[in-house]
Amino acid sequence: MKTTKAGTIVLLVLVVFIPWFNMDTSNDYSIPKVSQEDTSFYEVYPCKISLTEFILSNPESIYQNHFYFRPDNRSSIKCFGRVSGVTVLQKGLETQFFISVGTSSLINLLLQGLIWMVLFSLIPKNKELETRKETLRYKNLIILLISYLLTFSIYAESRFYEKNMYLLDFQETKSYLLIYLIFILLVKNFVDIFVSRSENLINYLPYIYLITGLFSGFNLSFLAVVFLYYGFQSYLTGVKNQTFNYAYLIISVWWLFNSRGSAFFNVGKLRGFTSSIFEFNANLYWIIFTYLLIKGILRVYSLNKESFKLSIFTKNFSITSGLLLLLGTLSANFPIFNFFSYYFLGLQRYGVESKTPFAFSQDVYELKISWRGIFPSSETIGEFYGLCLLFLLFYIVKTSNISPIRYIGIFASSLGLYFSDNRTAIVLIFLSTLIYISIKNGRSLKLVKLKYVGIISIIFSFILIFITQSSSFSDSYKFMSDAIISKAFIFKKEYAISSFTSFISGLENSNASSTIFGFISVIGYLLNRSEMWGLFVARYNPTYSELLFGTGPLNFGQLYGEIPINSPDSLLLPHSSILSYLVFIGLIPLLLLLFLFLKDLYKNRDNIEFVIFSIYIFVNIFKNDTMNYFSPFVLYAILYLLVRNKKELIFSGKSFIEQ
Amino acid sequence: MAEISNICGIQPEGFVKIDISSDPNFVFENDLNYAAKQLFDGEGNTVFVNSYLECQHYVLGGWDYTPLKNSEIFLQESLLYVVVALLVITSLKNTAARFIKR
Repeated sequence: MKTTKAGTIVLLVLVVFIPWFNMDTSNDYSIPKVSQEDTSFYEVYPCKISLTEFILSNPESIYQNHFYFRPDNRSSIKCFGRVSGVTVLQKGLETQFFISVGTSSLINLLLQGLIWMVLFSLIPKNKELETRKETLRYKNLIILLISYLLTFSIYAESRFYEKNMYLLDFQETKSYLLIYLIFILLVKNFVDIFVSRSENLINYLPYIYLITGLFSGFNLSFLAVVFLYYGFQSYLTGVKNQTFNYAYLIISVWWLFNSRGSAFFNVGKLRGFTSSIFEFNANLYWIIFTYLLIKGILRVYSLNKESFKLSIFTKNFSITSGLLLLLGTLSANFPIFNFFSYYFLGLQRYGVESKTPFAFSQDVYELKISWRGIFPSSETIGEFYGLCLLFLLFYIVKTSNISPIRYIGIFASSLGLYFSDNRTAIVLIFLSTLIYISIKNGRSLKLVKLKYVGIISIIFSFILIFITQSSSFSDSYKFMSDAIISKAFIFKKEYAISSFTSFISGLENSNASSTIFGFISVIGYLLNRSEMWGLFVARYNPTYSELLFGTGPLNFGQLYGEIPINSPDSLLLPHSSILSYLVFIGLIPLLLLLFLFLKDLYKNRDNIEFVIFSIYIFVNIFKNDTMNYFSPFVLYAILYLLVRNKKELIFSGKSFIEQ
Repeated sequence: MAEISNICGIQPEGFVKIDISSDPNFVFENDLNYAAKQLFDGEGNTVFVNSYLECQHYVLGGWDYTPLKNSEIFLQESLLYVVVALLVITSLKNTAARFIKR
């Protein structure tokens, strides 16, 4: 067993390092140092020297922060691991060197896929040597179907891939053959690896925050294959969930019928979990993907819920928190590490460049600058650290035991949470800890008392949020309730007013709707979301049907492509998953989900862990883009199902009300 | 000629071909209306051309980037064979494992 693990690690090390030694041995180059004045060598000799040779000639590029290593996915296979170009940019007083490293997309599929499979194989195998037959049903057919689906995604989003593939003609069918065969090879081997480890999948879920598994140059997440597999299996074996199936089918027909026109979306940090274009084929792909993902999550949960162990889960949570912090610090300080972490972990975005996670802004406000490490969003990673603390709290209260690894978890998560500057998560964790410990200690606590505690904590949290937003006291309610719409009016262009802006402005005539929207606006103001939500209102231009049923899952193309606004240069997401999903699935399914959530909350009101967890994720989903990232989507969904249905097994003992 | 139009684009109206080889001191003038193009030679060396005349001159001189293109096509085909071979090997391995189990 130990020999196998050692062999796996040796293979991993070889696969990680060898490609960057790919040098041109036919010539002996005298490699000069890159300088502001002269980069001619790299213009004359592109794809001639390996990354290793470059680093040896420019050792300062390892640690000096004005070097930026960037993957060049649109380079030839021969160029893999070699320097394909150097660009010099002057930014203020700083001279920046951008070093493009050849990373052919086709090789990325094989190399990154192999690395992630090797890493995945480190998860312990199922206890029973014989894999459960139900997880193997239709295996070969599903492998072919997944490979076909992934290849179809490349066809559907060919505009995105044209910029990332070298010499592949997307109009010709034969171009897709190679990609299809590579997918079959990858999916087949990956399926063999994860079905024999299926029982432990849930316990090792936190690692999806560390290894995002995005192929460089692709809008695909390798880890999604796990859920696509189980999703297909669930569909083919006829696992009953007819209401969901029919509802999804009907709404899908509407989404496809509505997929007219074409609107490109720069996926940016949402890569792997959003469509790059609003078109019929792309919408079809993401509709199928989302359906299979949801079915897959439910199947993974139902097959493996008995295997969930809070001790292993919190241990992995702690390790992931520590590693995220460590890798984030290394990425921020070493440009070469920034490149490798991006490539080998399959990140959505390059690691943060800011060396100092303790930094404050230099203006009069002196606000803490959020630090995200290697994760694409500081708020989302803040939520992750908060969640880690929450589950460690559940574990410690349950077992009255704390091991060194969990100390590391507590330390890393607390530090990470502070660095991320997610103040809502900080407040929620503080309140959750107070409430949870007082409930667990107060054995005679009754439900009535909990109600008081709940009401007081809600009021208390509002006051806290209110205090954190300085200078709020003097502002009138009227000012706050108009904050979103006034921002929307600032961002809108005179000649293009979105239907949602018109709709909201028209609400002034209706008292009830105006009050509701005004209240949401006040909450948005207190949560510092007026600008972001104002931007959303200025952009969102649905028809009545689109407002009610959305335009298709994980597709921002229409939102960002339809209405021109006086927008800031960078991509600013809605900063509320509720708003994102309003675009995707519309108001009616969203209200239905809210109703189901509240029903669940009421039904499980004696399950304190579920109540705390649900409120924590709901508040964060409300004010953050969390659900637009693959990792939190999967983790939250599975944890929600687990904590809701498995109280006895996870947290053991009677509920606090029974005590 | 088709190669030149493929690489350099459509010949501009009123274009007059000049015999540059007879003038060793010839200096190419940049054409502001011409989008710069990157050409490669057989060894993968690269040059940027800034006018149709310059592009035509280089393409006729062998900077027609086909060696790199050919090399990529060859490598993509090789990759295809490697993938097929790996698929066959893994399938055979699985079949053998199942056979031994029985």
